[in-house]
Amino acid sequence: MLSSRRPFLLTVAVVAALSGSSCDNSITSSEILPPLQAASVDSGAGSWRMIVLSGPTQFTVAAPAAETSAAYATELAAIKTAQAHLTAAQRRTIEYWSAGGVLRWNEIVRGLVARFSLPPAPRPDGTYPVPDPENPFADPQFPFANPPYAARAYSYVSVAQFEALKAAWYWKFQYNRRSPAQVDPGVTALRPMSDLPAYPSEDAALSGVAVEMLKVLFPAAVEEITLRAAEQRNAALWSGKAAASDIAAGLALGKSVAAAFVARAGADGMRNAGGTPALWQALKDSAVARGEIPWISQESPPRPPMLPNFGLLQTWLMTPTEVVAERPAAPPSTSSSQMQDEVAEVRRTVDHLTRTQLAIAYKWNDGAGTYTPPGHWNDIAAEHIRDARMSEVRAARTYALLNMAMHDAAVGCWGIKFLYFNPRPGQLDPGIKTVIGLPNFPAYPSGHSTFSAAAAEVLAYVFPAAASDFDGMKEEASISRLYGGIHYRSDIERGKEHGARIAGYAVRFAQADGAN
Amino acid sequence: MKAIRVLLLLIAPATIRAQTVDDGMLLPRRALGAGVVYSHERWSEYWEGTLQRINGNIGTVSTQSVTWVAGYGVTDRLSVMAVVPYVWTHASQGPLHGMRGVQDVTLAAKYRVLATPLTARGTLRAFVVGAAGIPASNYVPDFLPLSIGLASRRFSGRFTLNFQAHQGWFLNGSAAYTWRSNVTLDRPSYYTNGQLYLTNEVAMPDVVDYTVSAGFQRGRLCIPFSFSRQRTLGGGDIRRQDMPFVSNRMDFGKADVLVMYRGIRLGTSHIVSGRNVGQATAVTGGFFHTFHF
Repeated sequence: MLSSRRPFLLTVAVVAALSGSSCDNSITSSEILPPLQAASVDSGAGSWRMIVLSGPTQFTVAAPAAETSAAYATELAAIKTAQAHLTAAQRRTIEYWSAGGVLRWNEIVRGLVARFSLPPAPRPDGTYPVPDPENPFADPQFPFANPPYAARAYSYVSVAQFEALKAAWYWKFQYNRRSPAQVDPGVTALRPMSDLPAYPSEDAALSGVAVEMLKVLFPAAVEEITLRAAEQRNAALWSGKAAASDIAAGLALGKSVAAAFVARAGADGMRNAGGTPALWQALKDSAVARGEIPWISQESPPRPPMLPNFGLLQTWLMTPTEVVAERPAAPPSTSSSQMQDEVAEVRRTVDHLTRTQLAIAYKWNDGAGTYTPPGHWNDIAAEHIRDARMSEVRAARTYALLNMAMHDAAVGCWGIKFLYFNPRPGQLDPGIKTVIGLPNFPAYPSGHSTFSAAAAEVLAYVFPAAASDFDGMKEEASISRLYGGIHYRSDIERGKEHGARIAGYAVRFAQADGAN
Repeated sequence: MKAIRVLLLLIAPATIRAQTVDDGMLLPRRALGAGVVYSHERWSEYWEGTLQRINGNIGTVSTQSVTWVAGYGVTDRLSVMAVVPYVWTHASQGPLHGMRGVQDVTLAAKYRVLATPLTARGTLRAFVVGAAGIPASNYVPDFLPLSIGLASRRFSGRFTLNFQAHQGWFLNGSAAYTWRSNVTLDRPSYYTNGQLYLTNEVAMPDVVDYTVSAGFQRGRLCIPFSFSRQRTLGGGDIRRQDMPFVSNRMDFGKADVLVMYRGIRLGTSHIVSGRNVGQATAVTGGFFHTFHF
């Protein structure tokens, strides 16, 4: 009996050790961020150069009531009442938002992009419905937040928040009203306080921008967005950081600024970026007329190309002439020996991938259903912004620079993709199979390489100590597309050069915007 | 998504005459059994959440495997087993590359807790089984449906009740609970079940399964028919037009028939209902030899 039992127990012990799973399998979804204690309040941000607004006083913020007024005393009393009855959930809300509204909203936008970055499913007749902003809750949902759409969305939120905060900073130092926790010892500071004046509230300004901008960009998520924005304002109030009038003024300012950006977004060319069947045919005919093999959708059923007119969108920092001037030369002809060599290299690579190369392909895949390559670079920037303890306005500047560069990179890259309409490797050699999803648009140049080079250049300017890290990530992200089997080497090389040139516009803006 | 199915297939067709993990048989004491099983499974329809569909970008997905199986009768009441499959996948249409490699090593111990005559008609037996699986290679779980497995470490506890009639027919019922460890992806974020996760670690919901089977056994011929169900206790659905994800809620019901004679076994199975899995039809064939010491 004993002899029969012992091996059984032994086996159980061995298999238990092998399975070795920890008791706590829980995963935290959002970034764990410490409460923001800014390295500097950036008191001069009210005079930093504007991008879309004419200046910080384009929208006037009226003077607040005095700290000694009866109206303000009532507001202080309301905070004290709220603080006396804070629930655990309310404390968690304070903790969440105390990490900084810019970082939190960026994280929320990344979540929205991941949620909406799925292409429409085909209809039974083999055609594809087009997401409709007037009917965003239907199937297909609106938007299809593909990489160009995502680049644009990140940039609108980032730039609008940056402009709103510069205006808020201007008025803050006009009026110099302190935070409730500083005015009244009866109000407890439930998050780190600084010498930044409270009126108008930067948290409320950020929430106002986010709500108005995201309602346009992700209309089907309006309920969630509205709730998060209200949470952010409540957190400012409950924590003793802002009084009701600080919040009301900040919210109004944020919404006014957002309205200017909503108007711009309505006329930036996105509406027509999808093109028409006549355009899709003309692109093909044009490639054939040049003696080239035109790009053909490899999806089944064939899907119209992704946003062929995105290259005509309005950019942030470049003129249309500059967009054209910065373009790389044409790709190697589809009938050239160079192209044959490059096709052969893709095949050789993808059929003999090492595990390390596979890991790189998946690490940077950022395909359908993810926050996309621009989201990945926003993710990378987040930890550097956190570690640098940037003030809200400086964090917003970092994201604005990064996302303007990536939006302009998307516009530049898409313009070339549809100028040359170059086929993917698997079209020229059907034996090439991919280890990641095959993007449904022309190959040349690589979008990942363009985005990554633009992002790495901007981040290297803002965080020079980490420049070599960013450069390494850019190289890895770019070559990951060769490993994936979806890009030729010249797509990658020309894309990187192009992205870096486009980033130069953002870096030159930053060198002269008054923030250094 | 068929990865789980592969795992079950690998365990189920493991042996003749003793020691699939959920049957009512054991190897005799000091008997060593070893064999090889080939399995070919294919599907063209799958469930995207609960929506059954086809997808021109994958066509028919086939998964083949060659599995080495071995068992040893430690005592007349205790057998230990090991299973190691080599798996390769292929999509008949679209651009996606198949994958191949050694999947998971499964080790199991099966112990008979009860064997008692029941009426004059036959014998009632009960078994407990502990099984653990661990990836045997560093394969990619993040390329479903073409990944060769889910790369989670697993431990399962199983209870099996078996009634063997003297005339030859038998009834078998088996149920198991499987704990699964977190899976690590190559990417730093993912979206599933309505949420963006800013980590490379994925929590894997646990799994329960049960099997009922009935059949006939005489001499060295055994023909069981079975129906099994798997339920995943959590996880998200595949979103509309999205790829499957490693922690999806993969559920299915499967009908199965086997013919085992001497060392030869042939079988076929078909998924009859499912969620986030392919509607797979599989055929298996294998041989198995027992050495007595």
